Amino acid sequence: MRGLDILTEFSMKAGEKLEPKNIKIDDTTLRDGEQTAGVVFANEEKIHIAKMLDRIGVHQIEAGIPTMGGDEKEAIKAISALNLNCSILGWNRAVVSDINDSVECGVDAAAVSISASDIHIEHKLRKSREWVLESVRTAVDYAKKFNLYVSVNAEDASRADMEFLLQFARTSKEVGADRLRYCDTLGILDPFETFMRVRTIIDIIGIDIEMHTHNDFGMAIANAIAGIKAGATYVNTTINGLGERAGNASFEELVMALKYLEGVDLGIDTHLFRDLSEYIATASGRFIPAWKPVVGANLFVYESEIRASTVMKEPKTFELFRPEDVGLERKIIIGKNSGVNTLIQKLKGLGFKIAQKEAEELSESIREKALAFKRALFDSEIVEAYNSYMKGKSNSVKVSSKSGRDK
Amino acid sequence: MAKEKSSEKKVTGEQKSVNIIDTTLRNGEQAAGVVFSKHEKIRIAKMLDEIGIPEIEIGTPTLGPLEREIIKEIVSSKPSAKLFTYCEAFPENIAFAVDCGVKDVIINISTSDLHIKVKYGKTRTWVLNQLRETTSEARRNNLNFIVSAEDATRTDLEFLLKVLSVAEKKGAARFRICDTVSRLDPFRTFLLLNTIINTTNFTIEVYNHNDFGMATANAMAAIRAGAKSLVTSVNGIGEGTGNAALEEIVMALKYLEDIDLGVNTAKFREISEYVAKASARAIPVWKAIIGTNVFAHESGIHADGVLKNPRNYEVFEPGEVGLTRQLVVGKHSGSHTIIHKFKEFGIDLTTNEANDILSMTRAMAIDLKRPLFEKELMYIYNEYLEKKKTKEEEEAEV
Repeated sequence: MRGLDILTEFSMKAGEKLEPKNIKIDDTTLRDGEQTAGVVFANEEKIHIAKMLDRIGVHQIEAGIPTMGGDEKEAIKAISALNLNCSILGWNRAVVSDINDSVECGVDAAAVSISASDIHIEHKLRKSREWVLESVRTAVDYAKKFNLYVSVNAEDASRADMEFLLQFARTSKEVGADRLRYCDTLGILDPFETFMRVRTIIDIIGIDIEMHTHNDFGMAIANAIAGIKAGATYVNTTINGLGERAGNASFEELVMALKYLEGVDLGIDTHLFRDLSEYIATASGRFIPAWKPVVGANLFVYESEIRASTVMKEPKTFELFRPEDVGLERKIIIGKNSGVNTLIQKLKGLGFKIAQKEAEELSESIREKALAFKRALFDSEIVEAYNSYMKGKSNSVKVSSKSGRDK
Repeated sequence: MAKEKSSEKKVTGEQKSVNIIDTTLRNGEQAAGVVFSKHEKIRIAKMLDEIGIPEIEIGTPTLGPLEREIIKEIVSSKPSAKLFTYCEAFPENIAFAVDCGVKDVIINISTSDLHIKVKYGKTRTWVLNQLRETTSEARRNNLNFIVSAEDATRTDLEFLLKVLSVAEKKGAARFRICDTVSRLDPFRTFLLLNTIINTTNFTIEVYNHNDFGMATANAMAAIRAGAKSLVTSVNGIGEGTGNAALEEIVMALKYLEDIDLGVNTAKFREISEYVAKASARAIPVWKAIIGTNVFAHESGIHADGVLKNPRNYEVFEPGEVGLTRQLVVGKHSGSHTIIHKFKEFGIDLTTNEANDILSMTRAMAIDLKRPLFEKELMYIYNEYLEKKKTKEEEEAEV
C-alpha cells in the first residue's frame, strides 16, 4: 500500500479536467464478451449487435478473432462489409498468420496480443522476454504493411515488471503501433495503482493507451476511469460487462460514470441502453440483474417509505440521472417497507381515497401480506386489500351501531 | 496537504484493522420487492455471525409490530456479533429500539441541503437540533449509537463537519458517511475522507452504493484514506443498485490491501446462495468473487494457461470462496483443453485426434449456441471413431 501523500497527489492530479473528444470507446462485446465461458452469438446476432453499437455511437468495434476461421471469420467479414461509421478491429496473437486472416476479413484495425508478465511468459508461452519483443516487432511491422491501425495488447500487464513493460511499450511505438492496450487481465489493480502505472507509461514512452479492465474484485469501472484520468484515450468495454470470469468494464456504466461523475459526455445515445442490454442479455443467455447499475429494471423502483415519498417530491434527491435517460421508467411499489404516505399516494393513483388513520391500519395489514407472500404486492392485491379493509370497517360500524341499539 | 515522505513507510508498516458492519438484513431487505421471512432473517444473522462478521444491522423497529417481533427473535438468538437497529433521527423512534432489546442503534439524518429541503421541509439548524435531541434520548436509554449522515457526499463540507462534531460531542461511537447517490469516484472518496479524518480525527465509517459500479473501489479508497469501518451486504443486495458486496470487500481487503479480517471465506458461496434464494434474486454466474463462472475457463488461451498453472489466470484458489474450477468445452476451446478433458474420461488423444475432435466440437457449440455437456463430448468421440473406422475400411477396400 502506498503512502497517504502519494495517494493525495494522485487524487489531486486525477481531478484535472478531461477532454471528451480525446476519449474513445472500443467495444469488445463481440470478442471478449463472446469469449466468456458458455456464451456463443449466432452470426446474425453479431451483425445486429455491430449495427446497434455503431448507431449508439461507439468509436471502434472489436469484432472477433479472424484466425479462429469458420463462422467466426464469416461474421467478421460481414461486419467489415457493412461499412459502418466506426472502426472495425480484429483480434490477433502476435503471429503473422493471424494477421493474414485479419487482412482477409477486411478490418481496418488489428489488435496484436501477447503476454507481458513473466509469469505468463514462463508458464503459458514458455518463452523469453526477448522472444516476446521480437514477436511484437515482427507482427506489428507486418500489420503496418497493410496500413492497419495497430493496437498492441500487453496481456497481463498488471503483473508485468514495469521496466519490461516500458521496454514493451517502447518497442511497440518504435515499430509503428498506434496504441498500447493495458490489460489488467486478472482484475487485480486498484484505481490508485492503475493511475500511477498508466501515467508512468504515458510520461516515459508517450504512446496512446487503451484500458482493458476486469471485474474480479468489482473494480473494472473504477480502474478504467483511473486509467482515463491518467491520460488513457481508449477504453475497452462490453455491454452488460459480459466477459471472462467476472467480466469486463460495462459499457453503459462507464459512459454514465464519465458523464455524471467526471463531466465527460461522449455523445453516446444513452436512451438505447436498456434496449441494447436486453438484446445482449437474450443473445448471450445471461439475464440482466434487476439491480444492475445503469440498466437494471429495479433501479427506479421505490418501495421503502422515505425514498418513495421523497422521490415523488423531487427525483434528484435519490437520482443523478433520469430513468428515461437510459430507457427505464420510475415506479412506486407497495411492499414490506412501504409506509403510510406511499400507500396513500399509490391508492390515489389507483383512484381510491383513504384517510391518514385508516391508511395506517391498512398499511400494517399490507405488511403482513408482503411477509406472507415474500414479495411486493400487485396493484390488484392492493385494491383487494383496500376493499376488504373498507368493507370490514363499514361492517364493524354496522355491528357497533347495532349493538348500541341493543343496549 | 503535502506531507513528509516518511508517511509512506508509516502507513505500510501499520497493521490496519477494518470493521465490517453488514446490512443485508436492513438495507438489503429494503431493496424494492425483497422480503425475508422471520426464519430467513434469523438464519442469515447466524451465518454472518458464524463466518466472523463483527457487526450486523438487523432491521428498522419503526416499521411496525411485525418487524419488531422479528428483531426481538434475532436478539434472543444471542449471536456473538454486535446487533444494530436503524432509525431516522426522531427522539420518539428511540423507544422502539429500546423495546426490541438492542443496545446499539444507527441514528440516520440527511445532511445535504436538497434532502433537508425536500425530505424534511426543514433547515440546517433543525437538523442539528434533531440530532442533539435524538442522541440525548439514546443516551438517556443507555444505547450506544452511530450517527449516519445520509447524502453526505452532496453535503456542504463545513456543515457536514458541524454535524460530525455534534455527533462526537454527544458521544457517538463513530460517524457514517453515506454516498447515497454514488456521487463519488475513488479519488474524490480519498480526498473527502482524508480531509475529514485530518480535520477531526473521529472514527469514520463509509456506506457506499453501486450506481456506477464503483462501490467496492470507493470503499477501498476510503480505507486508504483512514476510514475504519465499512458497511456491506451479501451479494451487494440493497436499495437501487445495492451496496458494497461483503464478499468483494473482504477479498479485496485481503488480496489488494493485505488486510486479512480472518473471515471464514470458504462459506461465501453458501451464504450467497442462501441470501439469493431468500431474496429471490439469482446470483449472476459472473458475480465477482462468488459467481460460478469466475473459475470456469473456456477459451483456448485461458484454459490452456490455467491447465499449465492456475496462477496464470487466477488470483486465489476457488476453494477459498467455496467454488470449484471448471473447464468448459465450447466454441473457444483449444486442443489442449480437449486432450485434458478426455484424459479425465480416461482416454488419451493424439494431437491429430484432438484437432479433429476440436473442429467437430466447435461446429456443434455454434449450432447449439452453448458449450457442450460431457456426454455430448463422448457422442462426438464415438462419432469420430466410427468415421475413422469407415474411412479406414474404405481405404482398405481401395
